[in-house]
Amino acid sequence: MTRLHLVWTILCLAILSSCAGHQQSAIDPAGPQSGKIAALWWGFFWLLAVIFAIVMAVMLITLMRRPPSAIENRPPEQAESGLKRTVTAATVITVLLLFVLLIVSVKTGKATADLGKQSSLLTIEVTGNQWWWQFRYMNSDASRILTTANEIHIPVGQPVLIQGRSNDVIHSFWVPNLQGKRDLIPSRVTTEYLQVDNPGVYRGQCSEFCGLQHAHMAFYVIAEPKDKFNAWMQAQLQPAPAPTDPVLEHGRRVFLNYQCIYCHQIRGTTAAGQNGPDLTHFASRRSLAAGVLPNTIGNLGGWIVNPQRIKPGTHMATIAVAPNDLQPLLQYLESLK
Amino acid sequence: MSELKTLDVSHLPPFDISSQAPVWWGQLCIVFIEGTMFLLLIALYFYTRLQVDVWPPPGEQFPHLLLPSLALIPLFVSAGGSYLASEGAKKNNRGRMIAGMLLNLITGGLFFAMQIIQWHSLNFNWKADINGSYVWAFLSLYHFDLVGDLVFTFVLLVAVIIGRYGEKQRVGIHVDSVVWYFLVLIWIPIYLAIYWGPRIMES
Amino acid sequence: MSATPDAFASVPSEHTELSLLENAWRHRPGILGWLSVTTHQAIGMRYIVTAFIMLLLGGAEALLMRTQLARPNNTFLGPDRYNEIFTTHGTTMMFLFAVPVMEGMAIYLIPLMLGTRNVAFPRLNAFGYWLYLGGCLFLYWGVFTNTAPDVGWFAYPPLSGPQFTPGKRADFWAQMITFTEVSGLCVAAEIIVTIFKMRAPRMSLNRMPLYVWSMLVQSFMVIFAMPAVVIASSYLLSDRTISTHFVNPAEGGDPLAYQHIFWFFGHPEVYIIFIPALGFVSSIVVANARRAIFGYPAMVLSLIANGFIAFGLWVHHMFATGLPQIGEAYFTASSMMIAITSGIQIFCWLATLWTGRVRRNTALHFAYGFIAIFVLGGLTGVMLASVPLDLQVHDTYFVIAHFHYVLIGGALFPLFGAFYHWFPKMTGRLMSEKLGKINFWFLFIGFNLTFFPMHILGLKGMPRRVYTYPVEMGWGPMSFLATVGAWIIAIGGIIFIVNVLSSRRSAHFAAANPWDAPSLEWAADSPPANYNFEHLPTVASRHPLWDPPEERAVVTGLRNDRREVLVTTLMDAEPHHRYVLPGSSIWPFIAAVCVSIGFAGSVFNPWYVIWGSIISGLALIGWFWPRRPFHMEP
Repeated sequence: MTRLHLVWTILCLAILSSCAGHQQSAIDPAGPQSGKIAALWWGFFWLLAVIFAIVMAVMLITLMRRPPSAIENRPPEQAESGLKRTVTAATVITVLLLFVLLIVSVKTGKATADLGKQSSLLTIEVTGNQWWWQFRYMNSDASRILTTANEIHIPVGQPVLIQGRSNDVIHSFWVPNLQGKRDLIPSRVTTEYLQVDNPGVYRGQCSEFCGLQHAHMAFYVIAEPKDKFNAWMQAQLQPAPAPTDPVLEHGRRVFLNYQCIYCHQIRGTTAAGQNGPDLTHFASRRSLAAGVLPNTIGNLGGWIVNPQRIKPGTHMATIAVAPNDLQPLLQYLESLK
Repeated sequence: MSELKTLDVSHLPPFDISSQAPVWWGQLCIVFIEGTMFLLLIALYFYTRLQVDVWPPPGEQFPHLLLPSLALIPLFVSAGGSYLASEGAKKNNRGRMIAGMLLNLITGGLFFAMQIIQWHSLNFNWKADINGSYVWAFLSLYHFDLVGDLVFTFVLLVAVIIGRYGEKQRVGIHVDSVVWYFLVLIWIPIYLAIYWGPRIMES
Repeated sequence: MSATPDAFASVPSEHTELSLLENAWRHRPGILGWLSVTTHQAIGMRYIVTAFIMLLLGGAEALLMRTQLARPNNTFLGPDRYNEIFTTHGTTMMFLFAVPVMEGMAIYLIPLMLGTRNVAFPRLNAFGYWLYLGGCLFLYWGVFTNTAPDVGWFAYPPLSGPQFTPGKRADFWAQMITFTEVSGLCVAAEIIVTIFKMRAPRMSLNRMPLYVWSMLVQSFMVIFAMPAVVIASSYLLSDRTISTHFVNPAEGGDPLAYQHIFWFFGHPEVYIIFIPALGFVSSIVVANARRAIFGYPAMVLSLIANGFIAFGLWVHHMFATGLPQIGEAYFTASSMMIAITSGIQIFCWLATLWTGRVRRNTALHFAYGFIAIFVLGGLTGVMLASVPLDLQVHDTYFVIAHFHYVLIGGALFPLFGAFYHWFPKMTGRLMSEKLGKINFWFLFIGFNLTFFPMHILGLKGMPRRVYTYPVEMGWGPMSFLATVGAWIIAIGGIIFIVNVLSSRRSAHFAAANPWDAPSLEWAADSPPANYNFEHLPTVASRHPLWDPPEERAVVTGLRNDRREVLVTTLMDAEPHHRYVLPGSSIWPFIAAVCVSIGFAGSVFNPWYVIWGSIISGLALIGWFWPRRPFHMEP
């Protein structure tokens, strides 16, 4: 059994060392919901770990015990009644502990599920697509509905309502640092509440298998103080900045003349495609291709020239951009802050 | 060598035509399997209804009630034929076996014919929408079972008529009656779901 | 007083009686004879060997996956190949290995344990095997022609529907299920009837071995659960091939209906795999603790309760779909409640071992390994039952860790223990204990090294079914560790195969009852004759082979010139009538071929449903057509 103990010790050290804060981690909470869930997790973990240790101890003792007398195939009566009491007690304790765990779970579930009972809640409609995220900030005033993709900003300290939809297959919206996941199911609307307390950048990832590039369908949630959020919102609602020099002007022309407009929208231009991510403020986003690569001009070039190499199976068309059109196009897109 | 205790069973018959026969229990298992399948489908049919606002879907008529309801009569009579054949099998009465199976086949066939006629009046097929898919699933699965058992009964009938039968076939006739009672009974919830269901669940 | 090794002393028999028996039960020679076999030992072995080959294929698929995931951004497998491999791995393990191997063990062991000569429906038994083999060949035909399914082992629509998975891949998946489910239903029916109607005289229900109880419960679960997966796979197949709209949202179909009906099957399915393993553990513990199980009534009631409650849990696979809270609370409660029934069994086994005289053979090593791994898996299951926790770790590596702990710990370890335990009975030789223990430790350490880190990976945000992951997530080291563990498991598997192959030829012959176990299968020869027992035994207690020999009666009066067994009553197993079983027959094979043509063809052309039904109907008529003599001699 010493080999077993050694392996066990190594594993425990491994667990403890890897629990340090990390992005996309359910045990590094940044909001009240994930905080409650993480607390529930640790409660479950320690209680069940103790139970496991006790059961293992009993199991190991059975290997070391010698029964008091020569046991026939029918053991004496008094041993049986003692065992009966122990097994009954263990069963009763199991039932009680499970009951406690049930109550705690249901209470935590209620607390994390119903955050925003107030009206005029910031509402973001999330639509899953193969393999990118469309986000729309809802507003009763149609001119203030913001459509963006793959990255959202939310204000710290207030609940946000997520309305989940899907345009194709089932996806799942999950930001572990903030809240549990919610499936996005075509022909239905699912909802959940989200709240962040600590400003920061949080990564989320699709967690329902959705096809070839399920592994490359991530998004970012940037939580910031309310005033910064409002400023961001204002900037995003503006149409795309007009080109300020001939190179950018060339780039915009390239964009409008190639097939890009069949899928992409840039408000403030005639491009109004709805099949792909909105690019109006593309350069303000940290990543491209749904969290696959950092949003740099080099990566963007590689993506446009050969998207299949970066994300095989992606629905983004491979567009043969003429060599002297590519640089201006990239510069134009990276100017859309 | 010490005297060993023995339990002599040579006086027991080598077959039994009753619910003690293993093949009767095997048939009961099949009844549970098929019954579970149909009941699950009915539950799903109602679950589907609850998810949708407009029922039945636009453009679909209710299935007609008259012919399917009339068809219940030959169906129930056919169970009587099955019972007659089964009793004949137990008592080794060839005439009763043949009469019972004939009655079963004729009335069962009549039920099937009336159903087929009624199908032509349905103004939707399985490709139309979810309701069409369910209705046709019920109809095709059930009638496939029905035809299967009619064929099986027909083969038994032929065997008895030409004299190629013995204890095993008599057990078979008795067990066949279990199948038929099941088919008659399971049709009732299916019939109610397809023909009465839309009328009750109409939005 | 220990039992004599050769159990039941035989009634002085005429030489002619024994040779009549051997003649009635012998297999016909040649290839046709091999295809016509209807004895349960042969068919049981075929299931076990075929399922083991499937285990190796599924294991190879796992190694390919782990190799790809050992490093971030690895390029060993592209997304398409990876998605095919993880789907085929899950599908093979769940449908083509786990359930069939349990069925095969039951087909082999149950008639022996009940003291009879064959299952109740020998030809149906053969038919079930051929259909299972057909399912294996069908799926792997798809795999080796680049048409492997790639939508996950539960194939959720709309991803698996006609719009998003064109071609035949998902059709192969859906129809393979039809093969294996029909086969499984055949086995379940015959196991139930054999247990109910063909037990040794006076083996009342409360004298049945716990393994028999476990197979009875499992078979009932199969009867009620498998129709659900037939519905689910048929929804998918018909949506894909004949344009129905059951689960395809394009025309009002409901993807959530698919999930409900699939998991209504899917949850009981894992207990269908696991409950026979509980029976194995009881057999192994009783034999090697050398005492009766503690708490037999509690064990039986726990098995039955487990079977029932398993049907009330399925929605815990769907917590992320946004269900009403009251529904979630109910399913949390039921999912936690099932831990009680498993817990009671663990407590009873520990109590048995606590007061037994423990023999630490390889089989018992696997039983202990089972307790350790399964309890850990069960505890993570309690975590998953909690909705808030589940919403974080659902569809992550945490769940992968959980279900491998409960499936490998809960089913595979007992299965290996069962192999070591019953190998002497099946082959007449003992497996090497030395190699066996090395085998155990490689599997135990390799398993924990592979799957324990996955709990951490899940908590740190790694979703399931990803063919690669970025460096900056920090999942690399744990993934690498898991891959190392996987290769250690592979070595353990190889050691097992070496042990089996070398033991089959070894000089370590086994007596009839090397473990001094109490149940009836140990009274037959090692390996058993086709007829199992020269005279069928009767029982007077729960542990017939621990009773003094002079108290054991045997059945006389059965005819030995034909395959005749005894049918007894349900509750108390009083003899009721004699029952003549069919001999060898080619019709099950022919019927299975016809049905397979119908199933396989209908994936390509729906008209095959009609043609297949017609030829299958003809085959069934041939099967049941009355043959002379029509009248049974008394």
